[in-house]
Amino acid sequence: MFSILWRLDRLSRFGLGLLIFLILLGLVGPHLPLGDPMRIGAGPRLTPPSWQFPFGTDELGRSFLPRVVDGIRATFLLSAVAVIITAVIGTLLGMVSGFFGGFADQLVARGADILFAFPAILAGLLIAAVMGPGQISAIAVISVATLPLFIRVVRAVTLGLASRGFIVAAQVAGASPWRVMMVHILPNIIGAVIVQLTYALSIGMIIESALSFLGLGVQPPYASLGSLLRQGSAYLTFAPWLVLSSGAVLSAAIMSVNLTGDAVRDALEPLKGRSLT
Amino acid sequence: MRILFYFLPKLAVAAITMLGVSALVFLSLRMIPGGYADVLLGPFVTPEAREAIAVRYGLDQPLLIQYLNWLGALFQGDLGVSMVTRAPVLDEFLRRAPVTLELALLALIVALAGGLPLGILAGIAPPDHRGGLLARLVGALGASVPDFVLGSLLIFVFSVWSLWLRVGGYVGPIEDPVGNLRVMLLPALTLSLFGIALVLRTTRDAVLRVMTEGHITTALARGERPIDIVRLHVLRNAAIPVVTVVTTYFGFLLGGAVVVEVLFSIPGIGFFIFSGLENRDYAIVQAGVLIAAAVFITINMLADLAYALIDPRVGSGRH
Repeated sequence: MFSILWRLDRLSRFGLGLLIFLILLGLVGPHLPLGDPMRIGAGPRLTPPSWQFPFGTDELGRSFLPRVVDGIRATFLLSAVAVIITAVIGTLLGMVSGFFGGFADQLVARGADILFAFPAILAGLLIAAVMGPGQISAIAVISVATLPLFIRVVRAVTLGLASRGFIVAAQVAGASPWRVMMVHILPNIIGAVIVQLTYALSIGMIIESALSFLGLGVQPPYASLGSLLRQGSAYLTFAPWLVLSSGAVLSAAIMSVNLTGDAVRDALEPLKGRSLT
Repeated sequence: MRILFYFLPKLAVAAITMLGVSALVFLSLRMIPGGYADVLLGPFVTPEAREAIAVRYGLDQPLLIQYLNWLGALFQGDLGVSMVTRAPVLDEFLRRAPVTLELALLALIVALAGGLPLGILAGIAPPDHRGGLLARLVGALGASVPDFVLGSLLIFVFSVWSLWLRVGGYVGPIEDPVGNLRVMLLPALTLSLFGIALVLRTTRDAVLRVMTEGHITTALARGERPIDIVRLHVLRNAAIPVVTVVTTYFGFLLGGAVVVEVLFSIPGIGFFIFSGLENRDYAIVQAGVLIAAAVFITINMLADLAYALIDPRVGSGRH
């Protein structure tokens, strides 16, 4: 397990380190002496970054750094919850679809096609119209956008496994379909699911922050990195540190997930290049 | 004949998908809290007025009948009427479509011009080559920096130092071609960063995969020049996955890049749908989602057709 760590190249190790750092920061952030993210008038309004306020202050004089740290936690937590729920549902549906085939397969595959045809942000606007803007809507949008990814990958891998000897042997020995799927198929597809999980997490974070940026995600007084950017964009020309700091942290967070995803994929399904010379 | 037998089932699947999308969109709008009468008449509505609205719009009929009626109207090009402008929704969309189309084409061109060369370079470069590392870095950045972050950054830079490009103040390409380009270039660049990364990563993976195949070894053994091997043997075989993501990306762009259009005040489809949501003009949101999904499905069907043209094995039963 840990031997993989030493085989990573510089870029992957950087990504993994950044991811761990950001998650730890989000977790212990409230206990660090960074200041109160909600305290209005902690300093003058819209002051540039200084030693006292490393990311400056916002239009209500709140210190921006603790708000960004809070935003990291909100963005990660919301996307992770959405993606993990989706991964469980998508894996079950994909396995059933690939294992049973026939009508169930058609139903699940067509359902995935239908969800895949909805552009994520437009689906977000529709869901916001139906459910009202907020965290639950954001989770629903992320699920709609990433469910087809899980279903398609799991289904394809399960299809490849279904005719293999050890699956047929288990069936002949009298194992129930549920047991075959859980005991024999699941361990063989978990790698593909994990690879998909990291990509889905980065998609989820992009969607969550885009929705919050449009005012459809996390609602005030709570903040995610996207809603902080929305807040800062009103003062872009004379207080650019709000947008620059939250934008940089958000991009770094998504990049750390992407780089980790690449590393996981390279470790689980290596694709060796070759030199032409 | 081969292409026809390959294509007809795809067409059927596309039709089923479209039907499913329309049913979901229909149901979602019926689920809006308060229902249509409240949206139309506001909160202070008498039961009689509600009744009258229900009868007038057929809301007293069973849901399935309502759906079929709605679907029938859809086939005649009736996407409903905007509650704000009272104009047919379809006309409003057609009027704004060229703006989004131009933006999508510009972004696509930049994405291909940037992503393809870098992706090929990353695919054939030796592991420690500097170009390969640069390509991976661009790929990681492009997939990670959200469009509204890059857009905000560009707006900041170009509003502080008023360089040649402009932010906001859209003009059409026919009245003022140069002015149009000055307005559209920044949003197109913003949109294309993700496209560059997408094309780059897909091209790199496809090239890497092809490079391990036997015919490349043969070509190397024959002593062909690397440039010829890439041109003749690698690119053609790596084309299909690249075509897939490029069409998906283009379909996504045509659906209206909501965030970028809102950010740069580009009066395209995405901006229109967003303002529809803000004005509680849900017919626009509904039609917008439906149109975007239809465009997406159509584009992907065309991509399926393109595979059959690129690769003679597709659909021949031997693939």
